[in-house]
Amino acid sequence: MFCWEKLGKSFTPQEVSGRPWLNEFAQAPSTLLFDDFVRVYFSCRPPADSNGQYVSYSAYVDLDRHDLFKVRRVAHQPILTLGALGEFDEFGTYPVSVIREGDRVRAYYAGWTRCASVPFNVAIGVAISTDGGNIFKKLGNGPVLGYTPDEPFVISGPKVRRFNGEWQLFYIAGRKWKFVDGRPEPVYKIRMATSEDGIRWKKLNRDLIPSRIEEDEAQASPDVFYANGKYHMFFCYRFSTGFRSKKKGYRIGYASSTDLVNWERDDTRAGIDVSSQGWDSEMVSYPHIFELDGKTYMLYLGNQVGRHGFGLAMLSGRLE
Amino acid sequence: MMWIKHGKIFDPIEYALPNGCMEFAQSPQALVFDSFVRIYFSTRAVDTNGKYLSHIAYVDMDLNLHDIIQVSNEAVIPLGGLGSFDEHGIFPINVVRYRGTIYGYTCGWNRRVSVSVDTAIGLTISRDEGLTFQRIGDGPVLSCSLHEPYLVGDAFVKVIDDEFHMWYIFGTAWKRYAPDAAPERTYKIGHATSANGVDWKKEEGCQIIPDRLGPDESQALPTVIGIDGRYYMFFCYRESYDFRQAIGRGYRIGHAWSDDLVNWTRDDEIFPLEGTPGSWDSDMQCYPHVFECNGKVYLLYNGNDFGRNGFGLAELLI
Repeated sequence: MFCWEKLGKSFTPQEVSGRPWLNEFAQAPSTLLFDDFVRVYFSCRPPADSNGQYVSYSAYVDLDRHDLFKVRRVAHQPILTLGALGEFDEFGTYPVSVIREGDRVRAYYAGWTRCASVPFNVAIGVAISTDGGNIFKKLGNGPVLGYTPDEPFVISGPKVRRFNGEWQLFYIAGRKWKFVDGRPEPVYKIRMATSEDGIRWKKLNRDLIPSRIEEDEAQASPDVFYANGKYHMFFCYRFSTGFRSKKKGYRIGYASSTDLVNWERDDTRAGIDVSSQGWDSEMVSYPHIFELDGKTYMLYLGNQVGRHGFGLAMLSGRLE
Repeated sequence: MMWIKHGKIFDPIEYALPNGCMEFAQSPQALVFDSFVRIYFSTRAVDTNGKYLSHIAYVDMDLNLHDIIQVSNEAVIPLGGLGSFDEHGIFPINVVRYRGTIYGYTCGWNRRVSVSVDTAIGLTISRDEGLTFQRIGDGPVLSCSLHEPYLVGDAFVKVIDDEFHMWYIFGTAWKRYAPDAAPERTYKIGHATSANGVDWKKEEGCQIIPDRLGPDESQALPTVIGIDGRYYMFFCYRESYDFRQAIGRGYRIGHAWSDDLVNWTRDDEIFPLEGTPGSWDSDMQCYPHVFECNGKVYLLYNGNDFGRNGFGLAELLI
């Protein structure tokens, strides 16, 4: 058995000044380890435009390796530019997942465009940093993982991994658009693709995680971590309606696998839930697991899906 | 070789069309049967916002390609669902017989906010001789990718030596030609191959037909036929802006040839298809489709106003 001991909120975007594009939100944290700091990539937003619509950027905060509540620096500019007119990432680059590749850092990110009948569509792009993860240059102006017969829209939430000499991309794909309170909302499920080079991907074309709370359960943030001979996936899920409430909002789920393809879901083992009060009292979501100096941590979002930042928890017990 | 023009052969105004469509018979594409030719085309309805929705319909014509037998009175394919790539129209469809079924490659349209539209290519299959087609999935088989960022469409598919070849178009620019003008698109012809017609390998961002008008040339609707060991491609091309009304900037028919399906030589001049002054195709010739029937090579195409008033026929004299 294991559980997550909450350590508190570790980053609050509202405390950062001089960056109008980083007004609020620090969503979908993802780490890159350095000798003396931990870089946490996240996605943020400037104020909404006159129509109430947001764009999203991705950035990073460097946390002291020996005190993860100490902010050493915050990115001075977004790590990725928005796409040009008509491109898939014209209105947002969110979220981002990074991985080292020799002395370069590769980022997979979801690009957002705006549609007429539904509010948005999403596809996954790829970019490379040659300066240690400060600025990323896109490998093309289109997506590297896009739409296919079984995954028609909303290809988002990439989490890149390399196990056994192969590239894996865990992500979500839209299943349908559902009218909720008069507004189209996407239902999405956790999916997977594999690749030999990180560019040409082969989709598995099936849901990795069975839906539990309802058929239209939305699943996100499939974060896979290897420990003690097994793969562990922490993810988040919510109801398709009323999900901005405590009752039906995001919770963190858990599944395990020995082969990355067949997963056994058991949310009772997730070891983390909403708090009785405070910044994560209504929802917990977008988990990211990392190991640092012999300890295992989880970064996650609280109420309003990260509007006020992300928090940290530490593993107690063994992942097995 | 030269074209003999047979004039306009179908006018949509004269028929009741499915889905409440009133005008337009765009991008005619032929499926040849023993005793008739089924010609698919895209026609248009108007939605509650006053915007067009393109639908597929067909007309069955006698093998003489003059007499009309019937026009479809049912939907051939419903449009895609909410948020799907083909929610706001299917234009065009390319049909290929394959193992007792008919594969229909659709170009699906969906409306955007910062630009007017995006497109992708879907696969539908007919098991009733082309009366109706069913999607293999809600999403496309060919869509935007790393070096083809948008506007993937206009598939033309041929099975050659057990390999599927697709010629199609991909967008290379969305551009405003004046500060307050709506963005206009530029697209070029590309090539993809497949073993099964479902999983495609693009050449990826590779324009296979050189420009005649320069980088702002838009190339559309490639169609290919093999004659005596040589492949001939027809397509239409135009300037990327001010192409709707201005004389000399609109669509006309281009041509290229290849002996290996890899290298194409563009030569618009050897057998040009010219508009006839004062007639239905005087100002524009577009959306060509080449096919064989009864030992003859025909070209279906649209004339003025992008096919609002129907399509015509030319015959290649070899």
